[in-house]
Amino acid sequence: MKAYFFRILNILVLPLLFFSCSSDLDFDQVKDLKLEPVVVANLAYFDIQANKVIDNGTTNVIYDVRDFDIFKDKFFNNRLKRADFDVEIENTIQRAFSVNMLLMNANNDVLETISFTVPAYAGSPNVIKYPTEVFENQRLDLLKQTVKIGFSIVIAPGPPLNQNSTGSLKLRSGATAYLVIE
Amino acid sequence: MKKSYLIVWLFAAFSCFAQNREVLYNFTSIPQASMVNPGADVSYKFYFGVPVLSGISANLGSSSFSAYDLFADNGVDFNDKVRNVVNKSSRNDKVITNQQLELFSGGFRVGGRESRSYISFGAYQEFDFFMFMPKDLALLGLDGNRDYIGKSFNLGDLSLKAEVLSVFHVGFHKKVSDKLVLGGRAKIYSSGANAVSTKNSGYIYTGQTAGTPNIYTQTISSNLELKTSGIATFTKDEYEGNIVSDIAHNTFFNGSLGLGVDAGLTYYFKDNLQFTASIIDLGFVKQSKDIETVTYKGTYHYEGANPDFMGNNDPENIFDEFDKAIPRETLHNKYTTWRPTKMYTSLQYSFGEYRSDEDCNCRGQIKKRYKNAVGGQLFFMSAPRTPIAAFTAFYQRNIFEKLDVKATYTFDTFSNKNIGLGLSGTIGSFNIYALVNNVLEYKDISKANSAAFQIGLNFVFQDKD
Repeated sequence: MKAYFFRILNILVLPLLFFSCSSDLDFDQVKDLKLEPVVVANLAYFDIQANKVIDNGTTNVIYDVRDFDIFKDKFFNNRLKRADFDVEIENTIQRAFSVNMLLMNANNDVLETISFTVPAYAGSPNVIKYPTEVFENQRLDLLKQTVKIGFSIVIAPGPPLNQNSTGSLKLRSGATAYLVIE
Repeated sequence: MKKSYLIVWLFAAFSCFAQNREVLYNFTSIPQASMVNPGADVSYKFYFGVPVLSGISANLGSSSFSAYDLFADNGVDFNDKVRNVVNKSSRNDKVITNQQLELFSGGFRVGGRESRSYISFGAYQEFDFFMFMPKDLALLGLDGNRDYIGKSFNLGDLSLKAEVLSVFHVGFHKKVSDKLVLGGRAKIYSSGANAVSTKNSGYIYTGQTAGTPNIYTQTISSNLELKTSGIATFTKDEYEGNIVSDIAHNTFFNGSLGLGVDAGLTYYFKDNLQFTASIIDLGFVKQSKDIETVTYKGTYHYEGANPDFMGNNDPENIFDEFDKAIPRETLHNKYTTWRPTKMYTSLQYSFGEYRSDEDCNCRGQIKKRYKNAVGGQLFFMSAPRTPIAAFTAFYQRNIFEKLDVKATYTFDTFSNKNIGLGLSGTIGSFNIYALVNNVLEYKDISKANSAAFQIGLNFVFQDKD
């Protein structure tokens, strides 16, 4: 009876021992998990109609500032390793421009000014794609303090602008954020 | 060996399983067979399970990857493994776990010696987890949106539910005639913790459209909802306690209550041609304890900063706008969850008459016994999106008087070569059983897409002559 019992026990228990056959697994690898998503998003855009800007043909400056509070998000801020800004400008106004993008902190201090030179419209459509502005290391640290984006547009001398002027100055820009989530 | 235990317990702990008990089903020398068909042709004078050891089962299944794919110690970077798993998965791949532990169980015949009516009862603890592969969200997390311009990331890919509950049950089955056994069981569920997020929809979209003022068209349309019961307390900062013991306490003594039934039958067309069918866990839980529903519903278009130079001061605040467009709302409404309902049916043909010296004690019951049985079983289980189905072919053999073996071959979502083995032996009144499936994968269990086991110990008493 005893032998019989053990025989049955062996038959029953042996299949469970098969559990012992397993490749080496290393669950600590979870610690190595590192997500590196690359996120693109709109940065800023504007479309200035020539007939809304009225001047006498001399140098003229227009200015506006907007909140830009994405860096207040600690999760985003701490994991951002690099950011790229891509800007393209299309000018169909017969004046040259200097477009300045101002990165500002909470005290309205200008942390950085990025300038884009725009030639006057000469009759053929012209979309200028400016070189990518790359923010890494110290430049990135400045960017992370940014809470406002200002635009200061210097309009070079040329034909006066009035209600009948045609054309517009269009800016489109996108940001690429390189995140590392560990 | 240690590592293999870890896998087993990981399975048990994560408790994600297809609940098909194809080996147990209609394995009538095991009293627990009546848990998957209350109308199973099980007979005894009385039986009781060894407390806490009468039924221990765990199932783990993942239709697109195995533990090996993620955790193999082979020098491949873990992030590459994650990426491979995500890439080869589809949104309909699922991870399922189910774990059950019988706390006590028993049964007895009612009426006289000639009666063929039985009452059974018991309590068990159960853990269920079900999740679809959140493919689009995983891609977004891994890669971001830069390389997916024009793609809508589907928020509906997020679909999961989990529950810990205890079940108290009383069943009755009766051999109505030589041809028919009918049975039913009433269940009271006590759910200690429940989380459901299965009705999500919406998308995250980044596109580029010619003629629009911005570089990208960016939209988040969200219809997300997470309902929880018995969990909200633990998510609060001020909670200081032991989550495991608190959930265990709630599961048995302070759970959300529900009701359910099982029903089943066995019918013999002939002595050796048998049909069975059952429905298990047709029931609901009214989630009412510590309930919290969190929703994120709305649509948000992201435009970036937009100066107009016209002196209009229109303060833009990305977070405020986002929160306004897709607010987080917390509700405390009771809700009802349906238990995952299982259905089984089988057809069995028996052959090879059993001859035994003991057969002469048949007290006038000239019932033939057979050594072999073959047949097929079908299994269905309700699940979010579409039900889960499985087909099993089986062979059952009576080796000795008190030793039965059952082998199964199952086709399902997780595998098309799932071989199961079951053994049930009785020494005196002591019944011990062990059921495992996917034995082909046991040569390297870590590579299995699913694995299930069930073991248990019972004392079963038949009439003595």
